[in-house]
Amino acid sequence: MKLFDKILKAYTYTVLALIYLPIVILIIFSFNESRSKVVFTGFTLENYYSLIGNYRVWDSFYNSIWTGAVVTVVSVVLAILMAYGVSRYEFSGKTLIDSIMLIPIIIPEIVEALTLLVFLVIIGIELSPYTVIIGHVAFDISFAYVVVKARMAGYDPQFEEAARTLGADEIRAFTKVTLPILAPGIAAAALIAFLESYDDFIKTFFTRPPGFMTLPVYIWNMASRRGFPLDLNALATFVVAISLIFAYIRNRIERRVY
Amino acid sequence: MSYAVELINISKYFGDVRAVDNVSLKVRKNEFFSLLGPSGCGKTTTLRIIAGLEEPDKGIVKLDGKDVTYVPTHKRNIGMVFQTLALFPHMNVYENIAFGLRMRRVPESEIRRRVREMLEIVRLTGLEHRRIHQLSGGQRQRVALARALIVQPAVLLLDEPLGALDLKIRQRMMVELKRVQREVGTTFIYVTHDQTEAMVMSDRIAVMKDGVIQQVGAPYEIYMRPRNRFVANFIGEAINMLEGTYIEPGVVETSIGNVRVEGGAEYVGRRVAVAIRPEKILIGEEVSGDVDNVFSGRILMTIFRGAFVEYRVDVAGFEFIVFKPHVGGLARIYQAGDVVKVGWIKEGGILLVD
Repeated sequence: MKLFDKILKAYTYTVLALIYLPIVILIIFSFNESRSKVVFTGFTLENYYSLIGNYRVWDSFYNSIWTGAVVTVVSVVLAILMAYGVSRYEFSGKTLIDSIMLIPIIIPEIVEALTLLVFLVIIGIELSPYTVIIGHVAFDISFAYVVVKARMAGYDPQFEEAARTLGADEIRAFTKVTLPILAPGIAAAALIAFLESYDDFIKTFFTRPPGFMTLPVYIWNMASRRGFPLDLNALATFVVAISLIFAYIRNRIERRVY
Repeated sequence: MSYAVELINISKYFGDVRAVDNVSLKVRKNEFFSLLGPSGCGKTTTLRIIAGLEEPDKGIVKLDGKDVTYVPTHKRNIGMVFQTLALFPHMNVYENIAFGLRMRRVPESEIRRRVREMLEIVRLTGLEHRRIHQLSGGQRQRVALARALIVQPAVLLLDEPLGALDLKIRQRMMVELKRVQREVGTTFIYVTHDQTEAMVMSDRIAVMKDGVIQQVGAPYEIYMRPRNRFVANFIGEAINMLEGTYIEPGVVETSIGNVRVEGGAEYVGRRVAVAIRPEKILIGEEVSGDVDNVFSGRILMTIFRGAFVEYRVDVAGFEFIVFKPHVGGLARIYQAGDVVKVGWIKEGGILLVD
C-alpha cells in the first residue's frame, strides 16, 4: 500500500512536470542574456525592452484584447438567455438544444475552423476581424453556456417569485434578483470565454483577414519566420502571465457561493 | 363588509391530478387564518393561487372585494413568506426589507423610516447591515416577515415558514407571529401541516384533504366538533373511534356494547362512529353514578408522558387511549394488568356519520 502510494505520487509529479516544466524553462530563458536556448549565460531584461519597443506586439495585443472583449460579451449574453430558457421552461426539443450546445466543445477545432472558412467563402463573406469574432463566439458560447447553466441549476426560482410578490414585474425580478445572484457564475463564464478567445490560434488563423494578427498568431509568425528569437520567450511569458491572472480571478469568483 | 380574501369555486389541475377541487373560502379582515392538511392536500397550491403565482383553472379570486383572478402577482398588494424564505443572498437585512418599497419607488427618506419601524416590530434593530448568511434561523424568519409586511399588504401569505426551525425556536416564533399579526393588524393566511402551529395561532382553521376543504372553524370547533372521520383523526393527538350502528334515538350499538350519545335522532338505522378524545375518558374512581357510558376494562400499558399519563385500556377487545394528569404520587398511577372502570358522559362523545 505504501509503495503504491509512492508510485502514485511519483506519477502525479511526473505528469505535472511534463506539463509545466517547458513553461518554466521558457520563462527562465526569457531572461537569458545570450541567444542560446540551452545555456543560461546571465540575467537580462533586454528581451522585455525589445518587446515593449515592438509596435507589432502592441498591435496584436490590442487585437487580442478587443476581439476577446466583444466575443466575451456576445457569447455570455447569448449563453445567459439560452441557459435561462433551458433551465426555467419546458418545451419540446429542450434536450436536443442542450446537447447541441455541447458539440463545439467536443469536435476538433481544426474541423470547426475549416468548415467555418468554407462556409464563409460559400456565402461570400469577406474575411475581417468580425469573421474572427463569429468564429470565436461559435465555440465560446458553449463554454459560457455550460458554466452559466450549472450555476442556474442551483438557483431557486422562489427568489424570483419572492421578488414578484414584493411588487417587481418579471423584468425587474430578473435584473434585480436573478442576475445579481447568478453574477459569480456569469463572471466565471465571462472569464472562461475571454481566455478561450485570447488563447485561440487555429480559429483565428483560418478566419482572419490578411495582416490581422492576434498575439497567438503573431507568436506563430515570429517562430516560423525568424527561427526562434529570444524576445519570443519574453512574449510567451507575458501571454502566460495574463492567462494565469485570469485563471486566478476565475477561481476566486467561482468560490463565491451564495 | 368585504372579505380580505374570497375564493369562489377554485379548481386547479396538474395534469390529471386535481390539486385544488372546487374550493370556496372567505377570510375576514385582520383574521389569522390557517390552511391545515397533510402534505399534498392542495394547501400550498391554494396559497399560490391567492398570490397569483399559480392561475386557477376554474373559479374567482377576490382580494378586498375586487376580482384579481387575472391580475399578475406584482400588482396584487399581497405579501408572502416562503417555505425556503427566499431571502435575497446578495443583499443585507436592510436591503432585503427595503426591496418592496424600492419596487414601489418610495422616496429614500421614507424607506429609511419605515424599515426602522419594521425592524422594531420584528425586533431586529441593530442587525440591518448583516448579510443573510450571518443570521440565525429565527432571525431569518423575522427578516422574511419584515420584508413581506413592510409594503402593508392587504393579506400576508405564509407557506410553512417555521418548518425548518427546531422545536424551541418554533414555539417562540409562533407566539411572535401572533404578536406581530395583532400589532400590524393584517390578515394572515398560514399554510401548515402542523396542527399545533395552526391551533396556537389561528382565529380560524380550514382543514384540507385531497384538494377539498373538509371543515372551517375556530380551533376549538374543529377539535370539539369535527365534521367527519378525517378531521376527527387528523386533529388532536389521538382519538378513540368506536364504529357502530345508530339503533334508536340516543343509542349506538358498538362492538363493546351500547353507547349513549347526544342527539342525532335523524340517523337511526345508519352506520355511525362515536369518537371520544383521550382526555374526556374517566377512569377508576372518577367513574361515578351519573356517567352515561361505563365499561369495565384492563390496563394494557402505562406510558409516562411527563405532564400526563397515557393508558392503553382494553375493553372487550377495543383498545382505548386515555390521557390522565397525575394529581397524586406515583402510587396513584395504574399499572398494566389493573382492572378499572372507564366511562364518559355522552356530551364527551362526537357523533360522526360520513
